[in-house]
Formats: sequence, C-alpha cells, structure tokens
Amino acid sequence: MSNPIRRVATDVGGTFTDLVAFETRDDGTMEIVTAKSDTTPPDFETGVLNVLKKGGIDPETVNFMAHGTTVVINALTERKGVKVGLITTEGFRDVLEIARGNRPDFFNLHYEKPAPFVPRHLRAELPGRMTYMGEERAPLDLSGLPEILDEFRAESVEAVAVCLLHAYANTAHEKAVLEEIRRLWPEASIVASHQITREWREYERTNTAVLSAYVQPVAANYLGKLDDGLKSQGLPKSPYIMQSNCGVDSLAATSDVPINMIESGPASGFWGAAELGKLIGEPNVLALDIGGTTAKCSLIEDGEVRIMTDYWIERSGKSAGYPIMVPVVDLVEIGNGGGSIAWVDDFGKLHVGPQSAGALPGPAAYGKGGFDATTTDANLWLGRINREYFCGGEVEADMKAAETALTAVGEKLGVSTDEAAQGIVRIANNNMVNALKLVSLNRGHDTRDFTLLAFGGGGAMHAVALGQELQVKKVVVPAAASVFSAFGMMMSDLRRDYFVTQLVDLKEGAGDTIEAIFAEAEGQARDTFEAEGVDPEEVGFLRYGKFRYQNQEHTTEVQLDGPVTDADLDKIAQDFHEAYEREYTYRLDAPVEMVGIHLVARAEVGKLEMKPAEMGSADATTAHKGRREVDYALEGKHEADIYDGDKLNPGMAFTGPAIVEDSGTTIVIHPGNRVEIDAYRNVHIHIGN
Amino acid sequence: MSENDPITLEIIQNSLQAAADEMFAAMRKTAMSSIIYEVLDMGTGITDAEGRIASSGAGIPAFIGVLDKSVQFILSKHDDIRPGDVFITNDPWHGGVTHLNDLVLAMPIFAGDQLIAWTANIAHNSDVGGMAPGSLSGEATEIFQEGLRLPAVKIIREGELDEAVMDIITINSRMPDFLKGDVWAAIASVRVGARRLEGLAAKYGVDTFLRAMNHFMDFGERAARAELAKLPHGSFELSEEQDDGRIFNVKVTISDDEFLVDLRDNPDQDTGPTNANRDGTMICAQMVFKALTDPDSPANDGSFRPLKVLTREGSIFDAREGSAIGFYFETEVRTYDLIWRCLAPHIPERLPAGHFSSICGTFIGGIHPDTGRQYTIVEPQIGGWGAWEGRDGNPCIFSGFHGETYNTPAEISEARNGLYVDRMALNTAPGGEGQFNGGRGLILEYRIRTENGFLTAGYTRSRIKPWSLEGGEEGSGNFVEVIKADGNAETHSFVSGMALTTDDVVRVITSSGAGYGDPKARDPEAVRRDVKNGLITAERAATIHGVTV
Repeated sequence: MSNPIRRVATDVGGTFTDLVAFETRDDGTMEIVTAKSDTTPPDFETGVLNVLKKGGIDPETVNFMAHGTTVVINALTERKGVKVGLITTEGFRDVLEIARGNRPDFFNLHYEKPAPFVPRHLRAELPGRMTYMGEERAPLDLSGLPEILDEFRAESVEAVAVCLLHAYANTAHEKAVLEEIRRLWPEASIVASHQITREWREYERTNTAVLSAYVQPVAANYLGKLDDGLKSQGLPKSPYIMQSNCGVDSLAATSDVPINMIESGPASGFWGAAELGKLIGEPNVLALDIGGTTAKCSLIEDGEVRIMTDYWIERSGKSAGYPIMVPVVDLVEIGNGGGSIAWVDDFGKLHVGPQSAGALPGPAAYGKGGFDATTTDANLWLGRINREYFCGGEVEADMKAAETALTAVGEKLGVSTDEAAQGIVRIANNNMVNALKLVSLNRGHDTRDFTLLAFGGGGAMHAVALGQELQVKKVVVPAAASVFSAFGMMMSDLRRDYFVTQLVDLKEGAGDTIEAIFAEAEGQARDTFEAEGVDPEEVGFLRYGKFRYQNQEHTTEVQLDGPVTDADLDKIAQDFHEAYEREYTYRLDAPVEMVGIHLVARAEVGKLEMKPAEMGSADATTAHKGRREVDYALEGKHEADIYDGDKLNPGMAFTGPAIVEDSGTTIVIHPGNRVEIDAYRNVHIHIGN
Repeated sequence: MSENDPITLEIIQNSLQAAADEMFAAMRKTAMSSIIYEVLDMGTGITDAEGRIASSGAGIPAFIGVLDKSVQFILSKHDDIRPGDVFITNDPWHGGVTHLNDLVLAMPIFAGDQLIAWTANIAHNSDVGGMAPGSLSGEATEIFQEGLRLPAVKIIREGELDEAVMDIITINSRMPDFLKGDVWAAIASVRVGARRLEGLAAKYGVDTFLRAMNHFMDFGERAARAELAKLPHGSFELSEEQDDGRIFNVKVTISDDEFLVDLRDNPDQDTGPTNANRDGTMICAQMVFKALTDPDSPANDGSFRPLKVLTREGSIFDAREGSAIGFYFETEVRTYDLIWRCLAPHIPERLPAGHFSSICGTFIGGIHPDTGRQYTIVEPQIGGWGAWEGRDGNPCIFSGFHGETYNTPAEISEARNGLYVDRMALNTAPGGEGQFNGGRGLILEYRIRTENGFLTAGYTRSRIKPWSLEGGEEGSGNFVEVIKADGNAETHSFVSGMALTTDDVVRVITSSGAGYGDPKARDPEAVRRDVKNGLITAERAATIHGVTV
C-alpha cells in the first residue's frame, strides 16, 4: 500500500458530525471508514477535527475533502443571521413586505403573513431605472448613498443587500452601487442580486439577496474557521463545499454566495443516486431519502438530476414562506420520517406526521419519555425492525412503551394494536407514494421505467411497499445506505448552474442570439473556473433552453446540443413540442419562444471511482442469522428469513419474505421478492410485477 | 384486512386531494392568460356522480362551491353522457355560477358503464367577446353584451374535439389564441384528474371508491356540525349602507342544526352589471360558514350541509336570467363581508375587523409598444386586512374572495404589457389605527407607454370604509386615480372604458384594514416602531394614539 488516495467527506448536521472516508489503494481495492461525533456549536470546526481523529484520518494525508453543512438553513430557520440593510430601485422598497399577496390558508381569517427579514426603516431606495430589455431608462443617482449607509451604520447593520429592477437584464446599475458601497464602507458584507441570479421577478430576487446577506457573515465565519482549523492540522488543500445544485464548489466561492449551500444535504444524496444509477446501468432513478423527520424524493432521468430555481423555505398550506431563487435539486419533501407521530383527530381519522418526536424524546420505544406512537414504533411492533437489534443494538427497545402508545391510537380508531400499527405504516406509505407521484407520474414519467433507489435511515424499510404500489422496475438499496449522502459528496463535480432570463422569438436570427447568450455565460464560467486553478479545457457544459408557447408563463427545459444556429430552430421547436406534450398531454400550433437559458458548467475535481468486486456464490447461508414473524400489513404475517447486511457478499441471492439488517439500515423484503447482491454490494430487489 | 377499512378510505381520500391538486398544477403551468397562471384566478375540483363536491384543489375559495353546481346542471340537461366527453359552460343560468369570462370544464369519469365521478375546473379567460375588450363593461345592461354564452355543451365527444364548438368559441374572442390555449389547458387538467380517478377505482374497486367519497362528505358534515354547536345561538341582524347609497340587509339565525342566512330583504336587481345570481350568493354564505366552522380542512359537500340561504328572485342577490352580471364579484364580496360584519361583534375570537374587502378589479388594455400585440391586464388587487385582539392586521394580501392567488411582478408586467410600473409601495394614508392596527394597503402606479389604451375598474369600500371593532378606526378606502399626462388628476371607484394615452399614470390605491380596540391603548413601543418605519407620521401618532415621538 504505497500511495493510497484518501477521499474524505464530512457532514455537519444539527446533532452529529458524520465522516465517511474512502481509501483507494494502488491495486484498486478500497477501504471505507465511517465515524460519528457530536456537533460542537459555535465552534463547528472542532467537531470536524474530532470526527477526523475518531476515524483515524490524518488531515495531512487527505487528497480530497468534501464538506456539507446545515449552517445556512439553520441560521435562516432559527433566525440567527445578521442585521441587513436593503437598497432597491426608487418606488420599490416595500416589495420585500408586499411579497406576492397570496393567502394559502384561504379559509383561515387569522392567517399570518410571513414578516420580512428587513424592517421598513432599513429599506432604502435609489433613483435610476433599467427596462426589461436591459436599456437604461433613467440614470442611476448615487448621491443619496452616503446618507443611507450612515443610517445603516447607526442602526448597526452588518450586511447590505442590493436588488434593482431589471438587474437580470442589465447588471450595470447594481454593479455601480456595489462598487460605491465597497468604496464607502469597505468592512461591510455586501451582496447584489445579480451575483446570485439573473432571473426575473423582483420579489423573489430581492428576498434571495436579503436572505443571502442575512447568512453571509455567519457562513463566511464558519467556513473561515473550518479552513483554518483543517489547514493548521496539515490538510494540504481547502475542502470543497457541497452545494444545493448537486455539485461542490470551492470554499472561497462559497464564502461569497453561501446561500447556494441551503439544501446541500439532500442534494448530495440525490447526486449519489444519479451516479450510482449510472454505475449499475440504471440511469432512470426515483430516489427516496427517508430520515427521522421527513422523506424527500427526486426523479433522475438519463443520469441527470433536475435543477430548478423555484425553491422556498417555510412554505406550506399554512404559510406563504420565503422564496430563494438559487439552483436547487428538484425535490419534494414531506413530513414523514421514522420519528413522525401518528395521531387521531377529533373525527376518528388517522394521520401520520408532520409533527416528529425528533431525537428527544424520540419514538416511544426509545424509552426516553415519548408517549406518542411513531412510524418507528409501528415498524418495531410489526417485527419489521428487530427489537433485539434496535438502532444497531445501541438502544434497548422499550416494547412496553411502544405497545401503550400504539394501543392508545388503536382505541381512538376502534381497532386492535396490530391494526393500528398496520394502519400507521399504510398511511405513512401512502403519504410517500403521493410524494413520489408528484415527481414522476404528475410530470408524465411512467414509473415502470424507473428504479426506486432508497436510502437514509428509513428508506429501505418502506421502499418495497412503495415500489410495488408504483410498479417500478426494481428496488435498489445501496451499500451503507444510512451514510449515502456522504458517498454522493465524493462523487460530485465542481459544478455551477447559470440561469439567465432573456426573451427570444424563434424566428430568423434567433440562432445567433441564443448562441451569444450561451457563449457569454460559458465565458464567464470558464473565467471563474480558471481563476480557481481549473484548466478551462477541462470544463464541460450542458446547455438547456427554457421554452414556452408565446403568452404562456411556465417553461419547459429542452437540452440543446452544440453551437446553436438558425438551422437548428425547427429541431428545437420540435423537441419542445414533444417534451411539452409528454408532460401536458397536448401540443399547440402556436409560436414558441425562449425565455432564458440554464447552463451547467462542471469539471471533475478528483471524484471517486468505484471498482466492482469479484462475484461469488449465490448461496447466502453464511449471512443468514435466523427467522422471525414479520407483519407485512397488506400481505399479512409471514415467517421471514433474517440476513446480516454486513455479511452479504457480491453474487449472493435469496427470496423474500426476508429482512436484511445492519447497524444503520433495515431492508424489508416482501413475500416473493427476488434479491441479488451486486458487485458493489448494493441490494437489488425484484418485485415481480 | 377488509378493503372498506378506515385506512383504505383515508388513503382514497388523500389521493382525491392529491388529484385535485395535480389538476391545479397542470392548468397553472399550461395556461396562456396571466390571470390564470400568475394570478391563479381558477379552481379545480372532484365531484361524485351526482355532482356533490368531494374534493377541491388549491386556488380561490370563491370558486370551490361553483363546480358542484355546474356538474349538477350538466346532469339535469344531458341524458347522453359518455366516457371521454368534456362539457363546457359559462352561463350563470346554465351551471356557470359566476360571469361569462369564467369557463367551467367538466369531465365524467366512468368505471365500465357506471358514472362514478366528475373532474372539473373553472378559470377566468381574458376575453370571451361582448361589447368591451376583456368582456367586462360597467355599461352592460344585459348579459348578451358580456360575451358568448355557453349553455353547458359538449366540447369533446368521446375523446374527440368538436371543432365546431371550438371554432365558435375562439372566433368570438378578441384574443383567440389565448382563449384556445387556455381551453386546452383546462381540458388537459380534467384529463389528468380523470386518469388518477380511473386508477383509484380500478385499484380499490368501484364500491370502495364510492364509499370513500361518501365517507369524506359525512366527515365534512360532522366537522361542521361540531363547530356549529360551539357558536352563539340566536338571531343577528345588520343593515349596511353601500358606496352608492343602497342599503343591504342580512339576518343570520344560528341554532343547533342550522345556520340560516336570510337575504330576502334587499334591493331589486340592477340595470347594470353588478347583479349576483342565487348560486353565487350561496357561495358567499358558504365561505363565511366554512371560515367560522372548519377553516383547517378542505371543503366538500358535507361541510355546507347545515347551511341554508334565503334570497328573493329579482333582487340584486338573485337576479333573473338575462341580467348583466359581469361585475357580480363586487356585489358578492359585499355579501360575504355583510355576513362577516353582522357576526363579528358576537364572535370576535373567530372574526377579525373588516379588510379592504374589494376585488378591486382593474382592467387596462392597449397595444404593446415593443411587440405591436394587444395586451390586457385583468387583475384583482391586494390590500390591508383587519386587526384582531392581540395582533395587527396583515399588509397587502388578497381579499377574502381570493386565496392562493399571486400579484404580478413589475418586471413581468413591464415586459408582457409594455407599460412601466413606477411604484409598488405600502399605502401609508391615515386609517385603520387601533390598539391593534389594520394592515397597510397598496399603491401601484402604471405609466402608459402608447396611445389608445383604456382603463376599466370597479372598486367598493371606497366611500363606506372597512369597518372596525371595539373602538378602532375605519380603514382608508379603495380608489383608482388617473393622473393625465397634462397633470390633471381624477379619482374614481367605478370607471368604464376610460381612454388612456402615453404618460398617463393609473394609480391603484387600496385600503388599510380596520383597527381593533381604542387607538389610545396601543403599546407606545409599537407606536414608536410605526413612526420609525414611516407607517404613520409623528403628528398623526400624537393625535390618534396620544403618543409623542
């Protein structure tokens, strides 16, 4: 073992800091190390250094490090950012408070509109106007700026957000304001909307700039301390930071626009799913990540995740929430996880979630004083989770507490404890099926063409039932499913998504116009990558146009290949008609227009390559550890074979009813399912439609 | 486990809700008119075979009670209903309920030969013909001036488009491409829902499917009755003067098993377009009833079973066939507010003080100076909401008639409509103060860029302002101002087809919500914060709150 390549991913969550390390030896063999330690606020870098130590990783020997963190989303949801001052176009400072005016909870006359992150007295205006075509209508007047900044300083503002009308079309005014603020107030943290997004809709863009400014000093401080801490221990190169668009970005670039980290956790898992799908020859994947409080799902087609900028926080049927216009993997999230609480309403209807028992008190079976029945309690009661091996044997399952909680649910429903537990599992499954339909069937994708890939602590427990309902090709549970997100981080490219709004009619000359928009964005991307030491030749691009029928608003993305010329316009329109018809069942004989572009720029930065292992015998008896009765809800009770997940080797095969369990995951395999272990130790479950 | 167990029923109900939401999403993404895709002036729903509402999508509360009435009319008119058919209606005396701009599409769902349900939607279309662009005119005196009437006819026969019907609809519109695109969006939406429902019935069996729908409605009824029992019982009456001097009267009688709204004692129907029909009046009462009894769960037929409404044919709330009804919504929002106001002093824990309470329907049209194409803005406005015990009202949200509805961004409006938006700001005019303040209304300024434009607007709560509770101040009132290029300004609440030209500015001004409680009792800290934020001047704060800043 002369020169092993060491790749490390660390993930800072609310409670724990996780580590996964892959060591690839010269002969191609690999070793995987995982470790966990407490998260250590406010000095998060301490937790990262601790977990490296616990995993026996010397930072000096690490070739590539990726890092994910919830610091941005936590600062937002816990309102722990800094005081922000906002500068807008004259006449528009109230846009942040007016928002879009919607009342999602429309019968509720006591609806409470979300309060803006910047109060009115810290929202200032400057004269000057651009048009939607990017032409200057009135010159920018900066004469009032010194007074505005004096006021901000007097009010102890720490960060300034700038958002001017039509800055997506012409950035000149925003750039001039930015420059002047830097000159007048060099210490301030500043962000202008065009640095984050070049898309239209002034409320969404203003709010994005404000929330970015709000977390910027917090995140920059976090990343600075992390970098210093790791470097002082000998890490040769700054870690790459996981982004919401499924890529990693440099630590320096992330410090400038940290808001892009907002959904880095789910993004790394879904990217891992896309990469794993390609590796095992299943490029069409329905990815499902079930954690303690929520389930998230996303659809991957042809190995590509879908990236959108229609992202909101705190949005629900009860609240309008706050938009953040940054590239985020297209996902649907619902309040259904292992800790979701089952409850019966005043009218005898059973619900599961969205309230969660969390880590404390946790499910009733934790025996930490939780009285509410959760999905985990139901799974334990039905024998799906091994009560002798709960949480990898680290927790003794308090079955008395679980029984009491489930019986209480049953009494309210007028059914037995068994039926209550089955009901909880079925309702939870139905909630997840509806979420999976939102990303698949609702968009015209036939689930029979997809493989369901389930990960996270609870994914494997429900995956087969969901897969059967959706009639997917098969269900795959990856090796080390509980730390799968970290795997995704190590498979990520250095990636940036550029969205630019510009209207183009598909008529003569449009080819050149479209090509020019892409060329400008690609030039900008190459320059940015080059400034970070990436050879511009190594930067790969994916081009998408956002098209619609004239007069529509919502767009459909169509991939565009090679340089665009007028000769391609017919083909582009044809591709749009087809994509549109698939999603919406009809096409129109109406003019098509482009509304903007979506450019993906990416370069590899030492990502992990997986090597297949030798396939062995199909006989799985060495992994067989016993039998127990398992209640499969709709399919009733069966005597199931129990397998030790850590002992399953490539090539092994068996048939359900069965349970596969290791310290982090339980896979529930239904009667009649055929199971095979592939060369990467992933578990393939054929559900036999 | 039996297929009729409560869990299976629950799963079917959840899936019906998901299907209604899916229909909504499909329509939003494919529509051509901004009033549909941006403002979301639309609704989707699923009814049972008899046309009773089983589930409704997001959208606007005022549309939820429409679709059942449409389907019931189709059922009464047609004997020959076949799989794959889609019906279209817009006439209030033929199942259309609202006004001619709102096209309702409905599709029967079959399991074999058996009709098991309907999917339906409604959306405001930009122009369906008639005497004025946008089809709405304050000058209309009969429905024939308000556009093409569609009396619940088939537009799709067993899956095949009836080209003749589509041709007649589109040729009657000033914006045929928009209309065609929007009708197709509506067809796609009912079909999306149909696929889901057919799947559900096949999976669980028709009997279980039907049972689940009934069960859901019974649940809605139980929820409504349980809350009804908690409301104060008795008779409550209110007479209220309107902006135009008419007096509207309501009497609400609440008992253990009934919520009776008597609107018989009201003025005769109008010669103009502000009439409502009986179905529409029913919806106003349904919205107040739902807000009072069960605002948290989705509405279905059962939710409204304890409600009874009395109207007098030939009155403004129950106009005869043929009357102009284009601006029905402004009368209906008054009815809704009338019932709300009548009960608020008796049920203050469930009903806040009055809000700006007008659709503030604003219609601006002309030629886009950059594209040469016709543009039409059709938009409701946002405004201030009333305060309640313990909380200031919300600034700038849609009226009680709209819900998951969005205003149009200035950046998009400038590109799409070829005018300038000079200002979008909170309206800080005095009004709405109290111990808890009403939320602020809106100031929105459109600067016209070409000749030959027009403005039509219909606002109420202009002279008679939003009503306060417990000694608070009234709201500031809704108006539209037109500042002509020569500097002359006019203020209106109703204006029809006013000519606009280059550099004219249309200033939309919406009201603050009303206050709750004595303004002098407001926390001085809160007053100082209001002054600092420029929401009230120091002088006004001294006068009205007695707080010197």
